[in-house]
Amino acid sequence: MADTLTLLALFSEVDPSVIAIDKLHEMGVADEKLTVISGIPFSQQVLGRPNLRTIIPRLAMGGAMIGLVAALFLIFGIPGLYPLTVGGQPVFPFPPFLIIGFELSMLGLMGTAFLGLLLAGRLPSYEPKIYVPEISDGKIALVFSCSVEQQSQFEDALTSLGAEQVRPVEATTL
Amino acid sequence: MDTTAESFSSLGAPAKEPQDQSEHLMFDPRPRGEMNDMVMESMKKTSKKFWGVVIFLVLTILFALVGAWGYMIAEGMGVTGLTRPEYWGIFIVDMVFWIGISHAGTFISALLRVMKYEIRRPFTRAAELMTTFGLIQAAICIFMHLGRVWDGFWLIPYPNGRDIWPNLHSPLMWDFMAITTYVIASTMYLFMPLIPDLAMARDRSTGWRKSLYRTLSLGFRGTEPEWKHLKTAMNIFAFAIIPVMFSVHTVVSWDFAMSTRPGWSSTIFGPYFVIGALLSGIAAVMIVLFMIRSTMKNMKYFIRPEHFDFLGKLSLIVSMTWAYFFFNDYLVPWYGGNKFEKLLLDFQSNGPFSYVWVTMLICNIVIPWAILWNKKWRRTPWLMLVTGIVINIGMWIERFIIIPVSLNITRMPFTWRTYHPSIEIPLTIGTFALFMLLYMLASRLIPLIPVWEVQEGQSAHTLRKVGKAVIPTISEVD
Repeated sequence: MADTLTLLALFSEVDPSVIAIDKLHEMGVADEKLTVISGIPFSQQVLGRPNLRTIIPRLAMGGAMIGLVAALFLIFGIPGLYPLTVGGQPVFPFPPFLIIGFELSMLGLMGTAFLGLLLAGRLPSYEPKIYVPEISDGKIALVFSCSVEQQSQFEDALTSLGAEQVRPVEATTL
Repeated sequence: MDTTAESFSSLGAPAKEPQDQSEHLMFDPRPRGEMNDMVMESMKKTSKKFWGVVIFLVLTILFALVGAWGYMIAEGMGVTGLTRPEYWGIFIVDMVFWIGISHAGTFISALLRVMKYEIRRPFTRAAELMTTFGLIQAAICIFMHLGRVWDGFWLIPYPNGRDIWPNLHSPLMWDFMAITTYVIASTMYLFMPLIPDLAMARDRSTGWRKSLYRTLSLGFRGTEPEWKHLKTAMNIFAFAIIPVMFSVHTVVSWDFAMSTRPGWSSTIFGPYFVIGALLSGIAAVMIVLFMIRSTMKNMKYFIRPEHFDFLGKLSLIVSMTWAYFFFNDYLVPWYGGNKFEKLLLDFQSNGPFSYVWVTMLICNIVIPWAILWNKKWRRTPWLMLVTGIVINIGMWIERFIIIPVSLNITRMPFTWRTYHPSIEIPLTIGTFALFMLLYMLASRLIPLIPVWEVQEGQSAHTLRKVGKAVIPTISEVD
C-alpha cells in the first residue's frame, strides 16, 4: 500500500472552495473522506455536501420528557408521601403542576440540548487534531488524504482553483 | 461580496449611496482577521483607570455587600427597616429589578435571533452577559432576604429530616423553579455561541490566556458537524428560552398577585411585570453598549449609532406598552371602588411617597417619549445613556411602589406604617457594584463581540441594483 499524507487546502472565499470540493470529487476523493473546516458556518446546501443529521432535537425531546416526569413526581409524588393541606386546595393540585411541569420540561429540553451538543460534537476533545489558526480568520480549509504520488497533482489542481495554500499537515495540539 | 464602495461604482450607482450604507455595520465589512485583532486588542489592552475602577468596586463590594451582609447575619434582620406590615422591602425590590434586567439578554438575543433581525449581531453577547450577571444579583438578593441564609437549601426539593418537602403549592417554590431554570438555561445559552469566539481567542493567545481559551473552547475547530450541532442547539435554545423568559417574570409577579392584598391581587400583573422587565432590560442594554463603546478599544466599529437607534425604537414601543398596562392596573381598582384599593391608590399618588410615584411616571413615560421619538436623538449615544439610566431609575421606583409602598396599606389600619430602609441601601449599592465588577472583568476575559456572527451577517448582506436604486438585500444562507 502506498504511503498516504493529509493535505490541507486553504481558501479565502466560499465559491472557489465549493468548486474545489467538486474537483476533489472528480479526482476520487469521496465526501466522507473530505473534511471542511471554516470560521463561520456554511450549510450543506451552500457547500454542496451531503446533508448532516443531528441527534440533538431527539435528545432534547427526551430531556423534556424526563423533566416532565420529574415534575409529575414533585407535584404528585411529594404530597402522596408527605400530605400537606393548603387552605382549600386539593392535596394533588393540577394548576401548580402546569407551572412546575413547564419549567422542568424546559430545563430538561435545554439541558439535554446542551449535553447533546457536547456528545454529538464529541466535545470537549483536547487531543491533537488537524487545524490551522487561519481558519478562525475566516478561511475555509479542505482536508483530505491522498497518496504521496498524487500530492503534486492535487496541489496543482487546487492552486489553479484559487487555493491560497495547499500543504501537508499533521495533527497538532490546538 | 458586493458590499463595498467599489461594487457601487461597478453598478453605476450614484456616489452618495455607498456612504449612506457604510454607516451600517453589515455593509461595512472588514477582513475577519482584522476584526479578530480588534476584539482581542480590546480585551488585552487595559488602562490604569480600568484597574482603578476595579479596585474602587472591590472596596465598595467589601464594605457595602460583604461587610453589611456580615453585620446583618451577625445582628439579625432587626437591623433592616423591615417590620410589620413591610416584610418585603428593598431586597425584593432589588430581586425583581435584577430579574427584569436579566430579561434583556434573552429578549435581545433569542427573540431577535428567531425573528432573524440582523441588527442584533454585534451586541447579543453583551446582552446575554447581562442576563447571567443580573440573575446572580437577583439570587444574592433572595439569599439576603432569607435572613438565615444558611437555611436556604430548604428551598431545594429533597427529603428532609422533618418529613416536609417544599410545598409546591407555594408561588415561592414556583419562583425557585423558574429562576433556577432561567439561570441554568441562560448560562448555557451564553456559552454556546461563545465557543467559536473562544477558539478564535485560543488561536491568538499565549500563556495563561491560551490555556484558559484552550480549555473553554473545548477543542472546537469549525468542522461541518460541529457547526451543524452548534446551530441546531442554539436554535432549540432560542425558541425554548423565550417562553421561559416570559414565565420567569410572570411567576415573580405571582409572588404578589396570588395574595389577596390590595394593589397586588391583579390578573394583569403577569404581563405588566414582563413588559416592565423588558423596558428596564432594554434600557440597561443601552447603558452597557454605551459603556463598551466609549471605554473599550475598537468598539466604535462594532457598536454604532444604528444600534442605539434600534434599541431606542424598541424602548419607545415597550414604554408605551408599559404605560398601557400601568393605566389598566390603575384604572380598574380606581373604578371598582374597593375601599382599601382606593386608599392604596390615594396613598401612592397623594401620600408621603407621592413624589416617588410622580418620578416613576416622569422616568418611564415623559422623558423616554420626549427623547425617543426623535431619530437624531436616538442616534446620539450619550443621550441614550441618559435615557437608559432614567428608565432604570423609573423601573426601580416602580418595583419600590409595588412592594414596600403598597405594603404600607393593609386591611388592618392599626398596622399601617411607612417603610424606611436602613442597611438595605448599602446592600443595594453592593449588588450594583458586583454587577459592574463582574461585567468589567468579563470584558477582559471573553470576547464581547461575537465576531463569527458579525462576519456571517456581513457575508449575507449584499447590495442589489433595482432600476436606478441600489437596495440592501440579505441572503438567507442558513
